Amino acid sequence: MKRKVDARWVLHLLLGVGGLIMIVPFVWMILTSLKSRADIAAYPPNLLPDEWVWSNYQAALDYAPFGTYFRNSLLIAIGHTVINLMLATMAGYALARVPFRGRTVVFMAVLAMMMIPTYTKIVPQYLIAKGMPFFGGNDYLGRGGYGWLDSWWVLIVPGALTPFAIFLFRQFYLSLPRELEEAARIDGMGEFGIFARVMTPLVKPAIATVALVTFENSWNNFLWPLLVTTRDDLRVIQVGLAAFQLAERTEWSYLMAGSTLATVPMIVLFLFAQRYFVQGFATAGIK
Amino acid sequence: MTRTRGSRTRAMAVALVATLFATACGGSAPSNDDEASGTIRLLTPIFEGADGKTVLEKQLGDFKEKYPDITVEVDYTSYGKLNEKLTTSIAGGRPYDVMLMGVGWIPPFAEKGALAELDESKQELTQRYNERVVEPGIYQDKVYGLPIMLDTRFGLYRKDIFAEAGIPGPPSNFAELREIGRKLTVRDGSGKLTRAGVDILSNDLRQTFLPLMWANGGELWTPDGKPAFNSPEAVGALQLMTDIIRTDKSEDFGFTQPGATGLPLAQGRAAMMVGHNNHLLAIEEQAPELIKEDKIGFFMINNERPAMFQGGTLATVSAKSQRPAAAKALVSFLTDEQASLAANEQRGNVPALNSLADSEYVESNKAAQFAMANLDAAYSEGGVPAWLEIRGDFKAAIESALLGQKTPQQALDELVVKAQAAIAKG
Repeated sequence: MKRKVDARWVLHLLLGVGGLIMIVPFVWMILTSLKSRADIAAYPPNLLPDEWVWSNYQAALDYAPFGTYFRNSLLIAIGHTVINLMLATMAGYALARVPFRGRTVVFMAVLAMMMIPTYTKIVPQYLIAKGMPFFGGNDYLGRGGYGWLDSWWVLIVPGALTPFAIFLFRQFYLSLPRELEEAARIDGMGEFGIFARVMTPLVKPAIATVALVTFENSWNNFLWPLLVTTRDDLRVIQVGLAAFQLAERTEWSYLMAGSTLATVPMIVLFLFAQRYFVQGFATAGIK
Repeated sequence: MTRTRGSRTRAMAVALVATLFATACGGSAPSNDDEASGTIRLLTPIFEGADGKTVLEKQLGDFKEKYPDITVEVDYTSYGKLNEKLTTSIAGGRPYDVMLMGVGWIPPFAEKGALAELDESKQELTQRYNERVVEPGIYQDKVYGLPIMLDTRFGLYRKDIFAEAGIPGPPSNFAELREIGRKLTVRDGSGKLTRAGVDILSNDLRQTFLPLMWANGGELWTPDGKPAFNSPEAVGALQLMTDIIRTDKSEDFGFTQPGATGLPLAQGRAAMMVGHNNHLLAIEEQAPELIKEDKIGFFMINNERPAMFQGGTLATVSAKSQRPAAAKALVSFLTDEQASLAANEQRGNVPALNSLADSEYVESNKAAQFAMANLDAAYSEGGVPAWLEIRGDFKAAIESALLGQKTPQQALDELVVKAQAAIAKG
């Protein structure tokens, strides 16, 4: 018994130290966001600000239209999350529980898509978005205009459905007992009813995991929104943060203030979903 | 994280440039509109942030008064992301009408037919600019870019630290640089460096090495366009950097880095450095008393000849612009006295126009004054279409010498092999 208690103490100590190490960069970011320029440049560096410059936050918000960037990032992240959850659950369910010819090939194709580096897809995706028929002045062949470029379509549709989410849901649906499905079928339930009312409520950890990962990736997306938008009213928070890094110098205090604000939604989301999130990754065997 | 993003964007840039090469030849030819009218798109890596935007919007307001039929849509970006924006827009068939880009960027984009020739001649331009300033905008004897601003790298030193040590002035050759560096280096009892005699790490390593190479009589390219940065002069320059770190121990590798939160020269942790004219602004923010008390001095890097690194921002017009007259009107406007002075003042940079040497701004900015007075000894990087690919390899080569993993000769020989491969790839 005593040995068990000691082991728990050691475990908690190790986890506590690990947690502290993880949190130090965030604390440093917040403290730096409250320092003056001279204080940031001081050597040796001070842990606490000499003077707490709360106005850095207002100055950072005035530096660029962060309210707009924040709203855009939020709308895109929510859009991606909702679309991904809706479509990937259906796709994952079909690949796991609905027998059809070529299912394995389709699953292999989904796996293959996970292996294509994002950066190699940028230009083809850009061309597809630009050539979208009937949008942005394009004719039915996608010529003459700019398609989806500089619009909400280009920010939300590409990347809204991820192969990772399909894969994860498939793994979860595979793990559910077949008896549940059969019982529902005997009771006269249709395929969509089985999917929506019987099976999907049982994959909540996967839903939480996919929702959090999708939201996070979307919130942190930088390159695609940068390339496909030219207007400030369509820019996202990560692109806004990059404005603090000038060619010759970095506005550290503003960058840290902006980063603190940008991090808050992710932390809040994680606090609400952490139980399912950990369970989801543990069950799927993914780190 | 920054490093990861940096390496990703470099990989992305290479992939995008390759795609650009494949697609630049397609698309429709520009229209022959001779009238300066219509809506044009401007891509700018300068004028970032609220201050920059205010400056540009004020200038564009004046432009609109002058050209009421032209509307300018601005896409603000930064130099760090400029290559991706440019190459994607060109490869995607939606180029910007006016593109601001850096020194060294003209050959890659002109070679692929992405830039329109401007209606300017070198002879005319040298009336308004120093010849050294005009060169980076020219490729194969055609003018593709006009300079808006310059950014320069030269020596900065602390007059007070020099005076305390009884050193009368800045070094005038490499031997003096090393000797003064050794003399002004301070370590505490445990051997920890508390003051670097000479700081060669706060500035981008490539942009520190190149002015040293030029000062030592080296060149980037042979007259027939082959890499020359493994010449004895270039090796001598890298040997100097290696000696400062490894032999003299006037600075420790890792002591600081470009973009660090504090500049060692401003903190009193360095006696001199190879730096950017813009470092004066950083010093003003971090230790304003050093400026007020005139404790910062400047010097040309010198050995076989004086040299200064000259970068800058140039305005160009897309070869595919549907409104070339309007685009050229905007280029002329952005490079004229009023607009370029406003841009330089906002960033603390060096005006390109000779006529601005007497401006109130230049007279108030000693670094800009020093740079403008020494433009005859300014050298620029670039020169070949593959430069954007080649330049990324300099840092690793220089670091390998500074860390003692390779001799300067080996490091530069390997760099030249990589450069030759990049040039051969086209």
